[in-house]
Amino acid sequence: MTELEREIGHDEYDPIGTLALIAVYSAILVVMWLFMYFVEFLGNDLTVVGVIG
Amino acid sequence: MSAYVDQFPAEARIVRAAFWSSFIALGVGGLLGLVQVLHRTDVVRFMSGADYYTVLTLHGVLLAITFTIFFLVGIFTWAITTSLDRGLENLRFTWLWYGLMSVGTVLAAIPILAGFVGSVDMSASVLFTFYAPMQAHPLFYLGLTIFVVGTWLAGADWFRTWLVWKREHPDERIPLPTFMVLTTMLFWYLSSLGVALSILLFLLPWSLGIWEQVNALLTRTLFWYFGHAVVYFWLMPAYMMWYLMLPKISGGKLFSDPLARVVFVLFLILSTPTGIHHQYLDPGIAEGFKFIVMTNTFFLLLPSLLTAFTVVASMEHGARQRGGTGYFGWLKALPWRDPIFTGMALAGLMFAAAGFSGMINAGMNINYLVHNTFWVVGHFHLTVGTAVALTFMAASYWFIPQVTGKRLWNKSVALWQVLLWFVGMTFMSNAMHRAGLLGVPRRTAEPQYAGFEFEAGLGSVAELDAQIALGGTLLFVSVVLFLANVVMTAVGDRIDDLPDNEYADTLSGADDAPLVLDNLKLWTAIAVVLVILAYTLPLLSIIDRGGVFGPGGGAFPMVAESLRLVVVAAVDAGVIG
Amino acid sequence: MNIHTYEKLWLAAAMVLIVGFIATITYGSVGVGVAMIDDSEATLDPNDLGEDERFAEPRVEHVGDNEYEAYVVARQFIFQPNPIEVPAGSTVTFYVTSADVIHSFSIVGTNANTMVIPGEVATMTVEIDEPGEYGILCNEYCGAGHHDMEGLLIVHPEDEFDLEGEE
Repeated sequence: MTELEREIGHDEYDPIGTLALIAVYSAILVVMWLFMYFVEFLGNDLTVVGVIG
Repeated sequence: MSAYVDQFPAEARIVRAAFWSSFIALGVGGLLGLVQVLHRTDVVRFMSGADYYTVLTLHGVLLAITFTIFFLVGIFTWAITTSLDRGLENLRFTWLWYGLMSVGTVLAAIPILAGFVGSVDMSASVLFTFYAPMQAHPLFYLGLTIFVVGTWLAGADWFRTWLVWKREHPDERIPLPTFMVLTTMLFWYLSSLGVALSILLFLLPWSLGIWEQVNALLTRTLFWYFGHAVVYFWLMPAYMMWYLMLPKISGGKLFSDPLARVVFVLFLILSTPTGIHHQYLDPGIAEGFKFIVMTNTFFLLLPSLLTAFTVVASMEHGARQRGGTGYFGWLKALPWRDPIFTGMALAGLMFAAAGFSGMINAGMNINYLVHNTFWVVGHFHLTVGTAVALTFMAASYWFIPQVTGKRLWNKSVALWQVLLWFVGMTFMSNAMHRAGLLGVPRRTAEPQYAGFEFEAGLGSVAELDAQIALGGTLLFVSVVLFLANVVMTAVGDRIDDLPDNEYADTLSGADDAPLVLDNLKLWTAIAVVLVILAYTLPLLSIIDRGGVFGPGGGAFPMVAESLRLVVVAAVDAGVIG
Repeated sequence: MNIHTYEKLWLAAAMVLIVGFIATITYGSVGVGVAMIDDSEATLDPNDLGEDERFAEPRVEHVGDNEYEAYVVARQFIFQPNPIEVPAGSTVTFYVTSADVIHSFSIVGTNANTMVIPGEVATMTVEIDEPGEYGILCNEYCGAGHHDMEGLLIVHPEDEFDLEGEE
């Protein structure tokens, strides 16, 4: 289907680009999670609390 | 090797039929989507608010159920026959399940459509979730049941084909595509049982007047027992395409067959005992049950995170074989001019964003912030509306030539189509998420209120509405381009230089996978045990609190009185029950 | 089964992420004290709300120092009472039930948000500090007039608040 420049076998292939991309993704996830939880949610009005006994 | 239509002409016919059923649903559902988006945002309103809900019911049922499931039975049939290299056992049985699915769809659609006609005393504007005590016409429930039975028989068809193959190949590993189909069908059986019980034991008899009341919380819980797992029923075929197609189109091989199997096993065992996470804000369910379900739900992130790695690594393998280099430079070596690749890759990218908004939904207490807001609509238009729908459309550009024997009508139009979907969805979904954070509700015809306004921190509600209307319009144009392309392809001439019917080879193959992964009985047993653990106590508690038929309350039907009266009379006369 | 080192790394990182998310939620529950809507109230027959002393007359009641209870009925397509009036600086527990189909009771732009299911009573306690007005809406489709279902929560300055029927 496409012209391959080289054949890369299992043992010689390290998906370093994937690791880099996925590291960026998880960093974004963590930052956005913290922002959503602590700023958008806990910083919002009228949080439901346990019944005062 | 040759094209699928030459290898399996009879099976290609059934796949074609399933695809066309799916595409008709996509066309109608897409048009209704445009009508809704313009009504909600108050750009164009030509119908009443009440009709909006009829449109929404049809949009939800046609796209979430008909479009997705008809398409997936097509590619599952392809996957079984191609990877086992044998036809289905009995094509009359195959056409039977296809027929049941079609009849079920039509039966369910009739009462929904009748909702538009005031003079017909029949309606089913109950939305995709049909929560009791809102009541639809019995035909609606009956149609859904027949449709689901059709999918059950489809699964039986594939299992049967596999069992015959297994007798002839006792020592071979289950080919990966077949493995994916079988594990997906196993959890579909397990999860659709919930909605089947809800309909057959409660909703259908109740709509016929046999029961006077039902337990609203119980039927709702049974719905969500099915209602979350069904999203994986849509998603697994998309994953299958990412594992089987993307590596090959990228010019590489699937990074790991064993991990692909692990992912599907995890979905089999974890996708059902999570449904209560749609009910975090329901009264009548204890906080402890909600917490357990949340834990299951978060662990369900694992197979998706693993998929992200394996699929991207497979694409990277292709890119590097094509000369790509560097940490990120290899991305440039991917075949971005190929609509099949670009459509699926963009679908995967959007699914990564959907993973984030899904985590917020899944977070038990942060769910207060977004529950039933427009945020949720933004979320599932990224998942089923893009990860699944865009993958299916992109895959169609490969499948339609394979099952018709004809050349794709226009590759550039196809490329623009997938790009347009991505851009349209970026506008629409992002604005929906933001609107949800302001408290704008989902499933609401005219979210413009008399007594208050939504307060936007950044931008304004008008700006969000404009983005939603623009995005929705682009998406509709994209659907039209897609349908035009597949129709023009189908009416073209047969060619004989089609690419071969094949899927991605593996770097680490099935031989590396521990044998236990193929032990479907074991994984099914674990899945059943987990479901029993997760659901027994909540269901018993609901029944204990409110009774099997609930503490009381009437039905709120939109039902044909005449049919109801006949059944009530029959019950009184002792004919039934 | 050989798993590439990078994928093992990612597997470990993914587990850390998942456990971290669950830990955040647990902190919200245990540390901050965010409570979930639960099953603390018994069920009741939605046709007999008139015989229930809380819901026969939907209202706000003063039950303690700065503590109020609001008994709210959601029905196609209104909330009762409307408006709901409470003073600032109070703790309000909402008891919400439905007289007909499933609704929600959602105070717009806040975290106070619950489903309202016929036969069940949702309870939700919130602390209200500042005076102001909040919209209330139903975010679960409940029939042809769903989009007209709205209400108002008015939070009065503490010294200007008088509950009807109280001396």
